[in-house]
Amino acid sequence: MSAPGQDELIDKALDALRTVDDPEVGLNVVDLGLIYEIEIGPDAREVDCLMTFTTEFCPMGASIQAGVTEALKMTFPEAAVQVRITFDPPWSQSMISEAGRMFLGG
Amino acid sequence: MTGSPLGNVARTTSHRVVIPFYVYGAAALLVATVMLLVSHRSFTGHYFQPHLLAITHTMALGWATMIILGAGHQLFPVLVETDLYSEGLARASFLLAAVGIPLLVYGFHSFDLGLPARLGGTLVLGAVLAFMANIGMGLVRSKRENVHAVFVFTSTAWLLLTAALGLALLFNFTRSLLPHDSVHYLGLHAHLGIVGWFLLLVLGVGSRLVPMFLISKYTAPRLLWAVFILVNTALLGHTVFFLVDMPAWSDYVPVTMVAAALLLFAHYCRQAYRQRIRRKVDAQMRVTLLAVALMLLPTAVLLVLLTSIALGGGAQVRVALLYGFTIFFGWLTAIILGMTFKTLPFIVWNKVYRPRATLGRMPGPKDLFSDRLFLATVAAYLAGFTLFGWGIAQASVVLLKIGAVALLATALLYNWSIGRMVFIKQLGP
Repeated sequence: MSAPGQDELIDKALDALRTVDDPEVGLNVVDLGLIYEIEIGPDAREVDCLMTFTTEFCPMGASIQAGVTEALKMTFPEAAVQVRITFDPPWSQSMISEAGRMFLGG
Repeated sequence: MTGSPLGNVARTTSHRVVIPFYVYGAAALLVATVMLLVSHRSFTGHYFQPHLLAITHTMALGWATMIILGAGHQLFPVLVETDLYSEGLARASFLLAAVGIPLLVYGFHSFDLGLPARLGGTLVLGAVLAFMANIGMGLVRSKRENVHAVFVFTSTAWLLLTAALGLALLFNFTRSLLPHDSVHYLGLHAHLGIVGWFLLLVLGVGSRLVPMFLISKYTAPRLLWAVFILVNTALLGHTVFFLVDMPAWSDYVPVTMVAAALLLFAHYCRQAYRQRIRRKVDAQMRVTLLAVALMLLPTAVLLVLLTSIALGGGAQVRVALLYGFTIFFGWLTAIILGMTFKTLPFIVWNKVYRPRATLGRMPGPKDLFSDRLFLATVAAYLAGFTLFGWGIAQASVVLLKIGAVALLATALLYNWSIGRMVFIKQLGP
């Protein structure tokens, strides 16, 4: 993630993902802590996102993943976008950002 | 960290499997409350009456069990972290129960315990077997030890026992299958179902869903195992005491154990609430938490009943009626009212909006139902529950009638919400 220009591209990706909400919580996937890694290849031709769900076998999982994929495709129309799911480590409440906690009233 | 690509996300149970259970449950609540209004005078007499048996089984099977089976097919994969074993078995379970329950209820209502009731009871037993097989195979495939899943499977085993005993009681009315007449076993049949099926299942699923919906950090698997052991030991104890003909006061022991389990569970929910990250608790969760508090009510009524029996006092029939009412129209109905709107909107949302998930911002699951309508339903329910319960305690026909009207209004409002959700085509954008 440290190549020149990468930080801006990743910020751009994160901004796009802040438009994708977890339908149950109503909070976006970035502040909810679902996005673990984003890697953007040379010339932004490849975007690889590693994410999780709040619970394995989340009934809304496929919808959230589709939303993440679409948001990245719209932001990087020339790129091959891959969104992978992991439960290692499993999501926990400690992954919610400060902004997310503020949103939830914590 | 490694991950799986797009195609490997868990499959959720199809809405085609789950939604019919909810629609059926809503319709059964309506039927039960109509019967309640028509037969409200029966609640001033003995509990062993055809109309009361019909209402009880409509509530227990048509309403509570059908909603729980529907939600169970959706939530069990979340609990055990594996796909539902078979949607075919789920459909079979629905069809068998959907046909069997009206036959059984008709048999009770007309007190014709011949072929329709027996066929109905057999079909219900088949539905339970299909559900149990589905859950059991899911557990076998699951790689993780999970206290919630053990609750669900054990409760299903108690349901099987309840349904099998119920069927035996039906046959025993006309053929001498058991050592005593069927009325003798009613209490055992009822408690296997109430404690073994409903209570154990609600404790197991609730202990997963309450912290999940509150986004709470609280976990206490040892406490949950203690609850599991207390409830099961209490039920086994009650069964043994019943079979060896112990006097009624001996049931203080299992009742006290269940009361302890409920207090532990209430403590669990309180801790989950206190350690929640999501500060704003929606009305649906508030009703669910109210239902947890209402769980203590029938236990208190049962202690009064046992004391009354021990002292040889009167009014036992009214207390026994109140006990059943505070279960089926009390915490069980309250928790379903709350949890319906935490589960069904997501199932419908997945059906209507999942294909459009890539089209940007769209209405959320909470937009699929009206909060005001939900609050009106809860207000009608609380009024109906209080007035009807008071009517039973006072043997007041006027209170029973007003309470029944309010409960019928509850059912109508609930059905309106369900209909709006299920038959929704599409909200914007």
